[in-house]
Amino acid sequence: MSDSSTPAPILAGTLDLLILKTLSVGTLHGYAIAQHIKRLSRDVLRVEEGSLYPALQRMKVKGWIAAEWKTSPTGRKARYYKLTAAGRKQLGQEASDFERSVAAVARVLRSAES
Amino acid sequence: MTLREIWLRLTAWMRRDELSRELAEEVQAHIDLLARDFEQEGMSHAEAVAAARRQLGNVGVLREASRNYWGFPKVEAVLQDLRYAIRGLVRAPGFAATVIITLGLGIGANAAMFAVIDRLMFRPFPYMRDPGTVSAVYLQVTSGARRSAWATVPYTRFLDLQRETRSFSQYAAVSEWRLAVGVGQATRVRKVAGVSASFFQFFDAQPERGRFFGASEDVTPLGSLVAVLSHAFWQSEFGGRQMIGEQLQVGSLQYTIIGVAPEGFVGTVHGRVPEIFIPITTVPANIDRSNSNTYFKLYNWDWMEIIVRRKAGVSEATANTDLTSAYIRSRYAQRATNPRVLPDSVAKPRAIVGALRSAAGPDAGLESRVLLWVTGVAGIVLLIACANVANLMLTRMLRRRREIALRLALGVGRRRLVAQFLVEGVLLAGLGGIAALLVAQWGGAAIRTLLLPEGSAFNMATDWRTMGVAGACALVAVLLTVIGPAFLATRSNLSETLKSGAREGTYRSSRMRTSLLVMQGALSVVLLVGAVLFVRSLNKVLAIPLGYDASTVLDMFLDFRGLELDSAERVVVQRRLLATAQTIPGVEAAGRVNSGLFRTNTAALRVPGIDSVQRLGRFNFQITTPDYFRVMRTRILRGRGFTDADGTGAPRVVVVSEAMSRVLWPGKDPLGQCIQVSFDPSTRSESAPCSTVIGVAEDAAHQDITDEQRFTYYLAVDQVDPSWFSTILVRMKEGKIEEGMERVRRTMQAAMPGMGFVVVRPLQEVVDDRRRGWRLGATLFVAFGGLALVVAAVGLYGVIGYDVAQRMHELGVRIALGARSSAILRLVLSQGLAFAAAGVTIGLALALVASRWIEPLLYKQSPRDPVTYGGVAIAMAVVAILASAVPALRALRADPNRALRAE
Repeated sequence: MSDSSTPAPILAGTLDLLILKTLSVGTLHGYAIAQHIKRLSRDVLRVEEGSLYPALQRMKVKGWIAAEWKTSPTGRKARYYKLTAAGRKQLGQEASDFERSVAAVARVLRSAES
Repeated sequence: MTLREIWLRLTAWMRRDELSRELAEEVQAHIDLLARDFEQEGMSHAEAVAAARRQLGNVGVLREASRNYWGFPKVEAVLQDLRYAIRGLVRAPGFAATVIITLGLGIGANAAMFAVIDRLMFRPFPYMRDPGTVSAVYLQVTSGARRSAWATVPYTRFLDLQRETRSFSQYAAVSEWRLAVGVGQATRVRKVAGVSASFFQFFDAQPERGRFFGASEDVTPLGSLVAVLSHAFWQSEFGGRQMIGEQLQVGSLQYTIIGVAPEGFVGTVHGRVPEIFIPITTVPANIDRSNSNTYFKLYNWDWMEIIVRRKAGVSEATANTDLTSAYIRSRYAQRATNPRVLPDSVAKPRAIVGALRSAAGPDAGLESRVLLWVTGVAGIVLLIACANVANLMLTRMLRRRREIALRLALGVGRRRLVAQFLVEGVLLAGLGGIAALLVAQWGGAAIRTLLLPEGSAFNMATDWRTMGVAGACALVAVLLTVIGPAFLATRSNLSETLKSGAREGTYRSSRMRTSLLVMQGALSVVLLVGAVLFVRSLNKVLAIPLGYDASTVLDMFLDFRGLELDSAERVVVQRRLLATAQTIPGVEAAGRVNSGLFRTNTAALRVPGIDSVQRLGRFNFQITTPDYFRVMRTRILRGRGFTDADGTGAPRVVVVSEAMSRVLWPGKDPLGQCIQVSFDPSTRSESAPCSTVIGVAEDAAHQDITDEQRFTYYLAVDQVDPSWFSTILVRMKEGKIEEGMERVRRTMQAAMPGMGFVVVRPLQEVVDDRRRGWRLGATLFVAFGGLALVVAAVGLYGVIGYDVAQRMHELGVRIALGARSSAILRLVLSQGLAFAAAGVTIGLALALVASRWIEPLLYKQSPRDPVTYGGVAIAMAVVAILASAVPALRALRADPNRALRAE
């Protein structure tokens, strides 16, 4: 299913994880975050802007990310987000939770097939 | 929520406008980038921008979603509800004021009553360590048909119980006195507590200055003359200066001040707060020298109370068993000195632990029982107030029914709506609570002066227990008044309500309001019946003929403060003082007596021809100078009173009360009969000389005013012991007794030998004190019953008024169809009367049920008195008519034109 061109919905609870993971590679603005996720998931995952910006606000008050206005290489003013130490910890936590949960789901699926 | 998050949300909330702008900017940047990409994919510029906008969707929604993280949305919702509620109340000031005042009165009445009974009965004493294990010891015996409990015991009993019991880790002895303190003009009567040295160990209190006294200073027969001052006394009399080691005259002895108790330390006070603490073993020598060498060996003087602390793990039942067997052994020892102690098989003696505060103990008097009743009454007033407020709320909800239905239809959640009503209710209850504190602080002052010992400090703002109770009452009020109406209002059928106009759909669904109204009426009827019964009972007590006229009599106690005189000198001083009293301007007559009114004075009495006089009842004596009957205006019915000729050498004479003459010599002439009186318990009354009856006086209340037996006999001072007795009764000529009182006090004070001290008070006060319990019940029941009636009347007025307002249309139609004014009036009034009738019926039934318990609190007053019940029923009917009269008159103004045009 990885090559399907129709976008899949982002699983509940994974939006935070995706944003955190994206920001772990560098400081990005909102548009770049959305593009990054889209690209890396080969167009499968589409982040709705309507969810992205509230999620960024939420993660800001949680203290996981910090924001800063900067001028982009193309000369535009944009708000750049970066991971904080707390965010990095949160990323490790959520990533391992997610992997455990995916592995468990996969096991269940496999046993159902056999 | 972590602290960090709270901080971040708070800073975000403060910058929320800025954040909102930034978000808009950020979103705009996003749109620009997206549009640029679309353009690169081949769209035209305009298309690209439109597509980007579309993808971003409604920016407002996005901002609202983000706003959830800028601040505290739940708190904000409550604040919003609060603002909304305040606006709503400001728009309906009449409603708000009625609710707040009603709740304020209801809660305030309870707070005021609680403040009083808490202080009299429940509140632990300041500084007391682990108050749950500390008790007072009460003794119980049966004599005749009566079983009585009391706490005052001889010191010897204290020693016996302390020695013979194993259940207690601590014992202390306490006795409270009012003694003259200081010398010369600065002398004042002060509350002095005689306490054992062990007393201070019941408390975690460190002396403010100096030290408390120790066991070596509290020894029989006479302890050290050392005194500890209360903090307040130290502040007011010594200005808080260093005074350890100074001398202070307390009663008849001089004490050295050794310490000051910490602020707020009151010991285990019953009434007025003690100002000085002295070793209890110095009290006998101070106040009654005749007992000072025997008080720790004999059992002839009940004067102090015992306080104990149970050992850990000892139950009250175990402690009582232990105390009782010790008490029985103690009575055995007592019998060796006084063979007249009743056998245990008859007396069934028991010693038990009980509440430290006597008002909550087993010997609590009429007053405490009345107080508990009145506290219950205050609770009923609150119920009535709540019913009233619930009714008002309900009415308001019904009026807002369309608005509510509309909001529900628009998708406001029921929970949110109920939360809004709850916020409104809490706001009202909060305001009502504040009004209640004002009512309790100022309105309750009257109750406190009536009930609390003088000098009790009171400040509602620092009284956390009372505040807590007021808060709890307010909470109950919210639960009772908001939940029901809110539930009813949000449950209604939406489409029905929306379809119907403003006038319909509101007049129904009044069953709940009707029952609330009837309940209010019923409870008010119960309280009114109680009030009338108490007032009638008080009137009966007031109507009891006293057999004397206390109105312009002064009761004067002469305190010689241990002045050493031989008996001849004493006679001279006593006669001089009486003569002085008799010559003060404004004094009509003065007499010397052995004791003030209402003291028990019994002696061994024998009457020839009667086996046991004691069996007939209790005979009280009064030893007087010849002017006594003139001073008291007690009439001599037969024979004569005393004259100066009835002196030492003359034949012994006696005047008896009419009741006494009838019971001793029924059908015979009492004059010339003989009675034998012996004051010395060691001599047998058979050998006492004969006193001949020379007169019969009218029956006078020398015991309890309500006591049926008025067996009193009067003896002449000079024939008993002319050197005794230090109470003088003075009859003032008509006029202002206060002026005369001060003149008498000054003159007598100047005439007193040595450090002697005079205490004068109107005899009427002494008499009134004896009626206090009766007066208390009447006053408080009337106050609360009246309050209940007012609240219920307001409730009835509110409901009828509302109904009339709702029925204006219908009434207009009736008038248009030719209904007469009288018919309209009858229509409205009969509705009010129907409520009243239902309330009265239920209320009278409740009163009948409750009458059984209230009977013992009444004097010769049947609690099922038909006149009272009928009167209350009529009164309720009148109030109902008055409360519905205003709405009824308004109903007459219903406009038929408008009603018809609306059809």
